[in-house]
Amino acid sequence: MTSYDRDKVSDIHRHLHSELPSEPALRVKALESLLVAKGLVDSQAVDKWVEMFSDEIGPKRGASIVARAWVDNSFRARLLEDGTTAIADFGYVGHATGYLTVVENTPAIHNLVVCTLCSCYPLALLGMAPSWYKQNAYRARAVRDPRGVLSEFGVKLAEDVEVRVWDSTSERRYMVMPQRPRGAEHMAEADLAKLVTRDSMIGTAICRLP
Amino acid sequence: MDGVHDLGGIQGFGPVNPDKDERPFKATWEGRMWGINKGISGVPGWSIDWFRHVRELIEPVDYLTRPYFDQWAQTYGAMLVDSGVVTIEELATGISARPALERRPPMQASAVAAAARSIKDFSRAANAAPRFLAGDIVTTRSMGAAGHTRMPRYVRGRRGRVHACHGAFLVADESAFGREIAEPLYTVGFLATDLWPETGARNDRVFVDLWERYLE
Repeated sequence: MTSYDRDKVSDIHRHLHSELPSEPALRVKALESLLVAKGLVDSQAVDKWVEMFSDEIGPKRGASIVARAWVDNSFRARLLEDGTTAIADFGYVGHATGYLTVVENTPAIHNLVVCTLCSCYPLALLGMAPSWYKQNAYRARAVRDPRGVLSEFGVKLAEDVEVRVWDSTSERRYMVMPQRPRGAEHMAEADLAKLVTRDSMIGTAICRLP
Repeated sequence: MDGVHDLGGIQGFGPVNPDKDERPFKATWEGRMWGINKGISGVPGWSIDWFRHVRELIEPVDYLTRPYFDQWAQTYGAMLVDSGVVTIEELATGISARPALERRPPMQASAVAAAARSIKDFSRAANAAPRFLAGDIVTTRSMGAAGHTRMPRYVRGRRGRVHACHGAFLVADESAFGREIAEPLYTVGFLATDLWPETGARNDRVFVDLWERYLE
């Protein structure tokens, strides 16, 4: 039975710290072997999950949503109203996109997404989160010094632009709809999608023409 | 709990190093850990909030220094040991010293595509009207409880404005300990100058999702 006993769990953590192999690769290998032996994990299913999040599920999904919103105003309105319903048409609802809010960048507002408490991220829409998103520095600083963080990504905002930081503390998830670049007014949807980077949908990049 | 996981606003970490490497997994073991997480059969009493709390209980130095998916391995290890499914010695060797418990087979590869399209429902029917409406000024409680919470330390005791009310959602603080209790969930906007007066960040705002019990 699950104990929900924090002292017991802290004690287990201390034992694991000292008794498990030091290499993460060895720890995970042992974990998988053991779970397979216990009948709790099937290795081919693990293969399949890795394949899904390597090939099929990734930021190209979010990019196609943004490109559609850029060319289709009624879709854009639906997306901003209820992100989950809007992306359902694309088949992108899944892990951590059940309660999706899409926030729109404008000339006056720049949005930035973070999870200060762990690493919440709209996985089924953007794929695996980038390493920096999960690192201490980003989690600590995005809420306190967003403009400083943005400048480290090469994004310089005018003083009068309002920065809105979204801390993902519940099961709701956030995605940024970046601004369509100037000069991209006549581009086709498929070409527009290529301008939309992963980072632009987190808020740490601006979409630009190639 | 006042743990090192509650990183918002903590100073001293230096610049963010934007990583141009966009591969979803930087090493094979990271992908294996992700796949184990997605494919593992649940153990009675587990929830995403229990997982988060067990991760928060990792020793602070390990939490701050170990690679991300390595922390997941340690979290699963601790949850499995706590629930009596495996022993520490089994985790260290990878060899099962006891026969597997009688249970249904784990998720098969053929079931993964459908599972990737499924969502977990955290919303519940409301049994009371929300206390606050969009536009209301609220103050967050000054909570420092030992358990699990999703109210970050940096908004404690601060004034904010309700941006949206989302209806009732399972409260993470309860779910972490196996209790299903739903309460209205709000998105609350805080002026950056109310959180970090020294920054003088004009109109910038921080939005945080907060359950009703965090607010007054």
